[in-house]
Amino acid sequence: MRTWLAVWLSRARGLVQSRRLDDEFRREIASHLDALTADHIRRGMTPDEARRTAIVRFGGAMQVMEENREHRSLPLVETTVQDVRYTLRALRKYPAFSVVAIATLAIGIGAGTAVFSFVHAVLLRPLPYAQPQQLVRIYETNPLRNWTKSTSAPANWADWKTRNQAFTDVAAYEQFNPIGSGANDIFLTGFGEPQGLKTVAVSGNLFSILGTPPLVGRVFTDDETYEGKGRVVILSYGLWQSAFGADPQIVGKTITLSGRGYDVVGVMPRSFFFPGRDVQLWTPLGYTRERIAQQRRPHFLGTIARMKPDVRIEQARADMTGIARQLEAQYPDTNTQMGVRLEFLHDTFASESRTALLMLSAAVALLFLIVCANIANLQLGRAVSRSRELAIRRALGAARARLLRQLFTESMVLSLLGGIFGVGLAFLTQSALTRYAASAVPLFAEVTIDRTVLLFAVAISLGAPMLFGIIPALMSSKSGPVTERAESSPREARTLRNVLVAAEVALSIVLAVGAALLIRSLAFLQDVDPGFNQEQTIAFTMTLPNARYAEASARFNAFREIERRLKEQPGVQGVGGTSTLALRGFTWTGDTSFEGRGTTDFERDTRHGSTTLDYFSAMGIRRLAGRWFAETDTRQTPQVTIVNETFARRYYRGLPLDQVVGKRVAFGRPQDNAPWVEIVGVVADEKQDGLDKPAEPTVYSSIGQRQQNPLTFVVRGTQPADAMIAMARRVIAEVDKDLALTNVTTLKQVVEGSMEGHRFRTTLLGTFAGIALFLAALGIYGVLAYFVSQRSRELGIRLALGAKPSELFRLVVGQGMRPVAAGAMIGIVGAVGLTGLMQSLLFGVKPFDLPTYAAATATLALIALVACALPAVRATKVDPLVALREE
Amino acid sequence: MGDSKSEVLQGTLDLMVLQTLEAMGPQHGYGIARRIEQVSEDVLQLNQGTIYASLLRLQQRRWISASWGVSDNNRKAKFYAITKAGRRQLAAETENWQRIAGVIGRLLRLAGQ
Repeated sequence: MRTWLAVWLSRARGLVQSRRLDDEFRREIASHLDALTADHIRRGMTPDEARRTAIVRFGGAMQVMEENREHRSLPLVETTVQDVRYTLRALRKYPAFSVVAIATLAIGIGAGTAVFSFVHAVLLRPLPYAQPQQLVRIYETNPLRNWTKSTSAPANWADWKTRNQAFTDVAAYEQFNPIGSGANDIFLTGFGEPQGLKTVAVSGNLFSILGTPPLVGRVFTDDETYEGKGRVVILSYGLWQSAFGADPQIVGKTITLSGRGYDVVGVMPRSFFFPGRDVQLWTPLGYTRERIAQQRRPHFLGTIARMKPDVRIEQARADMTGIARQLEAQYPDTNTQMGVRLEFLHDTFASESRTALLMLSAAVALLFLIVCANIANLQLGRAVSRSRELAIRRALGAARARLLRQLFTESMVLSLLGGIFGVGLAFLTQSALTRYAASAVPLFAEVTIDRTVLLFAVAISLGAPMLFGIIPALMSSKSGPVTERAESSPREARTLRNVLVAAEVALSIVLAVGAALLIRSLAFLQDVDPGFNQEQTIAFTMTLPNARYAEASARFNAFREIERRLKEQPGVQGVGGTSTLALRGFTWTGDTSFEGRGTTDFERDTRHGSTTLDYFSAMGIRRLAGRWFAETDTRQTPQVTIVNETFARRYYRGLPLDQVVGKRVAFGRPQDNAPWVEIVGVVADEKQDGLDKPAEPTVYSSIGQRQQNPLTFVVRGTQPADAMIAMARRVIAEVDKDLALTNVTTLKQVVEGSMEGHRFRTTLLGTFAGIALFLAALGIYGVLAYFVSQRSRELGIRLALGAKPSELFRLVVGQGMRPVAAGAMIGIVGAVGLTGLMQSLLFGVKPFDLPTYAAATATLALIALVACALPAVRATKVDPLVALREE
Repeated sequence: MGDSKSEVLQGTLDLMVLQTLEAMGPQHGYGIARRIEQVSEDVLQLNQGTIYASLLRLQQRRWISASWGVSDNNRKAKFYAITKAGRRQLAAETENWQRIAGVIGRLLRLAGQ
């Protein structure tokens, strides 16, 4: 064993000191020969004779050296090093080939790595909780209200918590908006500028269910969920760093939030987030047990649970469905047909982007195949021109296996160089992509190029040569010695190259069709009227802290004052406030009864909003009938409402809009005996959930009659956005220096932001498709250019015999377009099969949209024609004399 | 290549080199080759170059060591010397060799009868 080790050590040393050992051995042999010669001279030979005899006696100095070389180091490593050196030399010798091949591979590997970094961050990396696979999200469902993924009612949550068998515990958090990120209604004061914080109110057991230990201090106790115990907070790592300078003594200190003192009990580690990465602070829910037990109608809690270790999700589902049935029987008023839906928490977090990411993964895989096909094609092209070199090497005694290894090493070196540049490319585009994709990627995901992603890059770099290197190596090492068999082998290679071109074309058609579908969707989306005027308007959210604005009238007056002062500013054309800005989902929904309908007949899930008097005009929302809200609509006068067009058309079918004005509705079910509210106006729909989603029936109230806090203000004016924002900050500081603006943005950004996901996917897929088409064109061009150069003699003779240049042009183009046509047909079939999967990502177009297919195919045909035309033109310019002399 | 044959020869040559170095002290390649030829009374005519394969093998196994020195006729030459491990190996191999030689001898005698 030790001997064996010694041998390997010595060989490894031999590997490193190859040159020195060579020299040394040469000197040793020389001195041996000298000694032998001297001996022979002593025995009476002439010096020449002595020398010759010595050489014979020694026997093949070269062989001895070679044998020595082979045994003193590791031959496999040494020849590989040799191959690599040789490859690098060859790559330098053919810079055009090398640059194209490495750049192509870099693009393929870089794109693959970049997309994988997203897939890894969103779909693969485990959530930063203990045993995350045991965590589930619970939704409520109700076919009566079209609910498939509703937040939960507090009382239902409380019952789940006590009745379930499947979970260690069930936790809840307040979820007011569909994105699930933090609310914005808490302000940190006393640390410089007042700071609006993204906070989430959670049940005390939430942290113990997630199971992530705090970095400092402790997590909440179950008891702290409820009012009275709830003046405690847990900080996120980010907030701890930014607002408190990572104060290690922070636990136990009291901080002021919206005018109230809270005790800091803990800080979570950096990797922790819940439910989004933007949440900075967690507070307990802070309701009384009684209030929770009463609230079975409003649904605003997100609920998660940890399954017991041996429980599977099916069992948990069965358990929860049973409880839902019990509750349905017990509370028919609120829980009729109320079901539950359980999902793994990770699926919930990732659901938004899963389809898009899978689509991008598929696209990048296709692109990668095209890249490989292209490299194989390039190599085949080069192999033919190298056949002389390979033939000579075989004649000199290189075994086929040795040549194969050499050729494969070349592929490997190319791929690894491509991989290095590819990873560089991925790094370079990373920050741009993540910034660009800010809302295209779910809030929880942190996209980085970490070890796993790098490993992936290495794996595909090593894997690529299997795809593109083996066949060309087999083909080119086959060429027999010296004669080159000029006829048979190039023809075989040409067929193979045509097949590769067809494959490239087929794959690029699939990508092109996919990209074209997304581009058309985006175009449709951009044409959608959001229902308001997005130009020249800023928006920001204002929250009045309840501690200092305890009275409803105080809040109302403060908002009025802010609105009034903003209006007085120079250049301001309109100011308004709303509880829910367009394209930001909705705040809350409720039942609506209609005057004249039966006592059991009502509509569920009407969306509610409260606005200031001038909100609609400031937004540029058109009035279709009736009047705006007026100063006279107060708490003392009968409640009035303005409804949106969808509401009017859906619930007063066939009635002209101006006759809807004057109708009366009640916000509740008939048996609730809610007061009648008169419809005084109808306004155009503003988009709520996205440009691609229709507006839902909505009723608006005046904030004079229905208080809301926070309000989002919109300010329309002639000045640039930055100036208007600065002006708004100044005005609000004058009213109350402790108030902060949050969600500061422009309406244009709001609209753009709602399309970010679409645009991200479209740009990425479009880029992939563009690269794919370019590579396919390169492939077509390469094959055809080679064809022309091979046949230049034949073409020359044809020209000499009177063939028209246009005929030759057609001949060459026809030759080039044949694999294109075949590939296109296969590609279209493939596209029909694959694009169906991206239906949910499309807007306004069907997956089998004929014009899109036609456009994609036409684009490809055009590009292919250009790629064919260049060599074809060269074919017509062949000089017969030169061509004949070339022989 | 006739692996089996060369292997026997290799082993034999290695053994002879070790024995030579044990008997004569440090020697250069030429000296070792000469000595083996002399001892075998020119029965064994080897290509002197082949000695170097053996020397490399023995060196890698650390049974001999090498260093540059000056030969009798004032030339620079590489001198090989047997190491402690080499002596142990030589002892073991010698014993082994004699046993095998004995067995083969007996076998051949039996076959001859």
